[in-house]
Amino acid sequence: MKVSGKLAEGSDEDDESLILDFESDSDVIDDVDNESVLLGRDNDVNDSSDSSCYESGDLSGNYLGFDQREKVLNPGFGDNTYDDDGVPKLNYNCLTTDQIYELMVSRLERIQPIFQLSYGDIIVMLQKYAWSEERLLEDWTEDREKVLVACGLEITKTVSKSRGIQNHSDFLCHICCESNKQKTFRLECGHEYCVECYEHYIKDKLPEGKIITCMSCSLALKNSDIDEILGDNSSQTLMISSIKGFIQKHSKHYKWCPFVDCNCVIQVSNLSSLSEFPRLHLSPYVVCENQHRFCFKCGLESHSPGDCQVAEQWVKLAQLESENLNWVLKNTKECPKCGVNIEKNGGCNHMTCQSCEYQFCWICEQCWNGHGGGFYECTRFKKDEKLGTAETKNSLRKYTFYYKLFSEHENSAKLDWNLGLTVEQKVKVLQENIGISWIETQFLSESIRALIEGRTTLKWSFPVAFYADPSHNLTKIFVDNQALLVSAVEDLSQLLQVKEPQNIIDRKREFYNKARFVETRSKALAGCGRDLLCKGICVPFQ
Amino acid sequence: MSLKRITKELNDLGRDPPTSCSAGPVGDDLYHWQASIMGPPDSPYAGGVFFLSIHFPTDYPFKPPKISFTTKIYHPNINANGNICLDILKDQWSPALTISKVLLSICSLLTDANPDDPLVPEIAHIYKTDRSKYEATAKEWTKKYAV
Repeated sequence: MKVSGKLAEGSDEDDESLILDFESDSDVIDDVDNESVLLGRDNDVNDSSDSSCYESGDLSGNYLGFDQREKVLNPGFGDNTYDDDGVPKLNYNCLTTDQIYELMVSRLERIQPIFQLSYGDIIVMLQKYAWSEERLLEDWTEDREKVLVACGLEITKTVSKSRGIQNHSDFLCHICCESNKQKTFRLECGHEYCVECYEHYIKDKLPEGKIITCMSCSLALKNSDIDEILGDNSSQTLMISSIKGFIQKHSKHYKWCPFVDCNCVIQVSNLSSLSEFPRLHLSPYVVCENQHRFCFKCGLESHSPGDCQVAEQWVKLAQLESENLNWVLKNTKECPKCGVNIEKNGGCNHMTCQSCEYQFCWICEQCWNGHGGGFYECTRFKKDEKLGTAETKNSLRKYTFYYKLFSEHENSAKLDWNLGLTVEQKVKVLQENIGISWIETQFLSESIRALIEGRTTLKWSFPVAFYADPSHNLTKIFVDNQALLVSAVEDLSQLLQVKEPQNIIDRKREFYNKARFVETRSKALAGCGRDLLCKGICVPFQ
Repeated sequence: MSLKRITKELNDLGRDPPTSCSAGPVGDDLYHWQASIMGPPDSPYAGGVFFLSIHFPTDYPFKPPKISFTTKIYHPNINANGNICLDILKDQWSPALTISKVLLSICSLLTDANPDDPLVPEIAHIYKTDRSKYEATAKEWTKKYAV
């Protein structure tokens, strides 16, 4: 293992220095303790710089060797594993598939001298070995002929024909059974078929991300062959599918951003700190290049104040408890006064009926006036005394109550998102007409971000409230905090409904204040929720 | 294009029929065939004739044909619906394969079952632990359904 490890990094200067460093260290140490110290030292190296992929057991993380950056960012180790709030630090990179491809190519340059083969050949071998340089090198040092045959780079009986596209006057292709074919393709094995059939065959295989072989035997097509048949850079599609397969296989280190149409991949390099999070009832949030925030552990969007367990149980429960509920509650409501059907088209829950001008709260359907001054009573679950005996019925009612709130805020967040887009467009117009600089309108996108984050926190606070012991004093504080955040969020949401662009600019300060208020309230609620989890007051159950 | 290829395979089958197999279209539809396989003599299926239905996809030969047994058969890799667990009918399919080659592969699957990758785990278990019981049942089924 060690030997191949050094081989793999043979051209890597950083690693070389580590090895040197390591050797000089061991000189000082007594011979007796050498073995154990060496091991200890070895682990240290792995944990801190993450530059070495030769940890015992799982070697998957660093096959592609993307982690050179961390060393620069995090030169020391040991003391900086937690940030000021006691949250474990997560070292991660955001990569796109194109970037991974580029890194892969640059990686090839480094390992090429070991194999003394062309890049194309090495790519085929790496694909066969699911990008594990380790395993490949092990087998390679053992029996290179066997590796070459297994990867389809050599055939046992050589027919030694020329490789590539051939020209004929009248060729009968045995795949499509058409005669008069002019252009054909073959590898050294001599199995020859028309280029059209090869095109069809390769196009079907590209998304699989595996080695594409000759249609009749196991001889592999290289990227240059694929490009020759399909045109320039077609092989990149294969490489990217192959990378996707790699990421799926190594989901411990890599995760796709779960947001729709986002192509980012997050790679976490210090897995050891990842295991710290559940113990602290925290979640390892990562932010991709497109500013999508999600949990690296469970792959859900940000679900603070709940931890992964709360989120997981809640999602499971939501799946169990009928999808209909979602639909029924989501879209329309009757005005509590005149009964006209109202569709909600903005995030704000302060509704004014267009027909009778009755003002009410979308969530509790009560008159809005009751909400104005103090706390929002409607986020408090009141136990129905009459049904108290029927325990199960009440628990379903309780769930429905919280689920309703959860989905309301989810929906509101989506609508706020759309609202944000239209507002931003309006401001863009304003920028062009009045000549306000881009920087001066940044407060708006910041406010929208604060609003959406506030709503997400609020949304995920309902599962916490659902699983929490309602009689405990801390739960009461949590619910009060919830109410405060609701009021802060609704205020900001209402502010964003402003129709006149000029008005928006004039109220810049108000935007700042309210957004900041939402941020502080979100943080307070998240802290409070974590408290409930840490103290065992909130226990997600089946 | 697939039609030309299917026609050619049909002609080849007529000209040079493989031993113990036959295949051809059911009606006018060239994409729907019926095939028969004689139980291999060195297997518990000896003496039986097994019918199969073949459906060609429109992008044949780039996609594998769909083949299933219509005759009931007791085999670790063939289930009650007649579905066959055979790699060349799935991810190992190659456009260079033909119906004739596939039928021959199915024949050899009848002789040598693959109990390590079973479609019917119960039969595979009996195959591995009590070979004579497996052979007796397979013979019985052959007699009952395929003769």
